[in-house]
Amino acid sequence: MSFLSMVLKMSEGLSKTCAIFFLTLLFSLPLGMLVALMRMSKNRFLSGITRGIISVLRGTPLMLQLLAVTYGPYYLFGFSVSRNKLIPVVIAFAINYAAYFAEIYRGGIESIPKGQYEAAEVLGYSRFKTFMRIILPQVVKRIMPSITNEVVTLVKDTSIAFTVSYQEMFTIGKQIANSQTSFMPFVVAGLFYFAFNALVDFVMGRAEKRLNYYR
Amino acid sequence: MSMENNTGTPVLELRNIEKAFSGSTVLRDISVTVNRGNVVSIIGPSGSGKSTLLRCASFLETADGGDILYDGDYAMRGGRYAEKNRLREFRSRFGLVFQNFNLFPHYSVLRNIAEPPVLRGVPKEKAEEKALQLLQKMGLSGRENAYPYQLSGGQQQRVAIARALALEPEILYFDEPTSALDPELTGEVLKVIRQLAEEKMTMVIVTHEMAFAKAVSEWVVFMDGGVIVEEGPPDLVLENPEMERTRQFLTNYQK
Repeated sequence: MSFLSMVLKMSEGLSKTCAIFFLTLLFSLPLGMLVALMRMSKNRFLSGITRGIISVLRGTPLMLQLLAVTYGPYYLFGFSVSRNKLIPVVIAFAINYAAYFAEIYRGGIESIPKGQYEAAEVLGYSRFKTFMRIILPQVVKRIMPSITNEVVTLVKDTSIAFTVSYQEMFTIGKQIANSQTSFMPFVVAGLFYFAFNALVDFVMGRAEKRLNYYR
Repeated sequence: MSMENNTGTPVLELRNIEKAFSGSTVLRDISVTVNRGNVVSIIGPSGSGKSTLLRCASFLETADGGDILYDGDYAMRGGRYAEKNRLREFRSRFGLVFQNFNLFPHYSVLRNIAEPPVLRGVPKEKAEEKALQLLQKMGLSGRENAYPYQLSGGQQQRVAIARALALEPEILYFDEPTSALDPELTGEVLKVIRQLAEEKMTMVIVTHEMAFAKAVSEWVVFMDGGVIVEEGPPDLVLENPEMERTRQFLTNYQK
């Protein structure tokens, strides 16, 4: 197999890699906020449970969680989540990343000085408006570097989908590597991830810069 | 605002305010009345409860007992606060200027001042026009598009004062407005407050600036250990205090 056909074959899987990436972000970013708010709830039962869940999600391998979501239902109840593997993959990824995002959000929210809440309260902002207009924009600015970190990691983590044979780029590369007994597909995969992340860095850098109009 | 017409009527009445933080008493039986057009200064050592008193009056702290009245209406009665919506309405009657300004860093100066009135239903153009007028009054014309980090502490505090005034409060509270400022910047803030006093703005000022308190106040309250030790006109309390504790505090202060 020529180098070019190898690259072409693997890039067919890129759309699936991108699907995992974008869908995971689409679901995990808002879900993480919900989890963060639950974690910070004054209800000690709710915050305790949430804390436990976050602890499990961060304390066990994503690969294991992916296997559990994909095959768990079959072993437990005798049915699969879906024949389309994208669904369990995105579910597992979104939940896992939500746990990480939740802790980043929590750190950001807790770093906003109390005086911001007090000023908003005295000025007549409702609790909702205080959060949406005063707190959240400042949180977003503060957590951008940490979010970039997670997004970069997510690009590389999409390769974990090979464990459930979802035909994304790395899975295809691994198959070629096996059939051709060649290391080249892994080099190609490495280049793909690196290029993808260069793009992520560029976009996130632009976003951070846009938030630099204040300190 | 026609404040001169009814000078003498109380805007704020605090009666027998009690407050404890996890068992230790911070305020004990504090009663203060502030009449329209008057300036009341609260002085005292750190931890005397003076800031807590202002924070109780502005609902940032929950008093444990007593009455809080604005214009004769109960915001708190016998330790029980009015319901949420009522409190929201009461909040529009006072403004609070913090020690650390607490401007919103992601908003321009103009938006810091104009957004709160807009949220209360004032049309945007009107709120911005008013904000520009207030900036001019604060000596900050031309800075409306600046962000707080681009301003000095003294300028930030003047923006904070403009922000409080934009809601047209009946009474304005200052919680150590110059304590976070470089000494050379306190003057510009005090000048603005003094100007407000001349315009008969009703104000309560927690401060460590004794000369300033003497110059602007009709009434000075000296607090220590959560109680009012002594109160009266400034030339009495600050020049000829009756209580030994007041004298001691003032002597220490002049050192």
